[in-house]
Amino acid sequence: MSESYDIDINTGVDDDDAMMVDEDTRPASVKRKGRGFRSESKDESRDGVRSGDKYDQFESTTDEDAAAGRAQRSVEGWIVLVVGLHEESTEDEITDKFADYGEIKNLHLNLDRRTGFVKGYALVEYETYKEAKNAIDAVNGTKLLGATLHCDFAFIRAPISIASGTDRESRDRGANRNRVGSRRRGRSSSPSRRY
Amino acid sequence: MGRYGHEFLEFEFRADGRCRYANNSNYRNDSLIRKENTNPLCFSEYCSVYVSPLMMKELKRIIQESEVMKEDDQRWPKKNVVGRQELEIRLGNEHISFETAKIGSLVDVQESDDPEGLRVFYYLVQDLKCLVFSLIGLHFKIKPI
Repeated sequence: MSESYDIDINTGVDDDDAMMVDEDTRPASVKRKGRGFRSESKDESRDGVRSGDKYDQFESTTDEDAAAGRAQRSVEGWIVLVVGLHEESTEDEITDKFADYGEIKNLHLNLDRRTGFVKGYALVEYETYKEAKNAIDAVNGTKLLGATLHCDFAFIRAPISIASGTDRESRDRGANRNRVGSRRRGRSSSPSRRY
Repeated sequence: MGRYGHEFLEFEFRADGRCRYANNSNYRNDSLIRKENTNPLCFSEYCSVYVSPLMMKELKRIIQESEVMKEDDQRWPKKNVVGRQELEIRLGNEHISFETAKIGSLVDVQESDDPEGLRVFYYLVQDLKCLVFSLIGLHFKIKPI
């Protein structure tokens, strides 16, 4: 029923990278392109993260909904995403802007691999939810080097529908159990402690 | 199995924000690398987390600005004994599923039959990996290889 996206494991193939980005799930007429669609093998061992049946079970996300109410804590703090950065922004400028709301535990300012300029986003880590939330509220909509910044939490908790468990998700969980075990469920209660 | 066993790096973003990441290597048995990957929260370097709508929007921007959807993998090098790379993106009513060999450096890009297209792929993949490594690194505190 589903498309086969994976390819044969050739005995000689010992290293592969796969990337899957699923942006939109509207069931419109879809233009397909690429050799990946021609692969026939269904018995590829699915030892990675890619799922076999996709695209028919998710609604499109709306861009409007902010993450604040359902932000997800990371191992050591709260990660704020800032987008819309001018390509010549520097770590110092971003640090200056975000340090007002709490100590910055970590800052990732990734560069465009082709141009060497800032790619346009940064990830800022604070220890507490309050610091992160204040930073988001204060910086969102402001400008840096003439570019308007947008901020939100980078991570959110799993949607409710996942917790209740659809067929697909329970299959997923079953398939992943040997890998993740109870660890994933075990740590889901940690966020609230940090408020 | 090849000389280096079965290694892979995979990540996936779904429209609802679910991000999954897996990194598997035979080198895991090596005590040095094992030491770096003992984070109990992310066993086997298999991670799943949800990213916010703003993150998905940024991902979409990166993909759209790369214009990778206009490319085609027909003249790119085919997967080989060294390995393969797959990139699958569904954006609006366009759906690409590209497959090519590992690209060691820009020399491989220049020497291919479609250097312009392969260059787009090469840099987009690097930018996406860079983003995912940051996300996973910050969220789980594991260092991707």
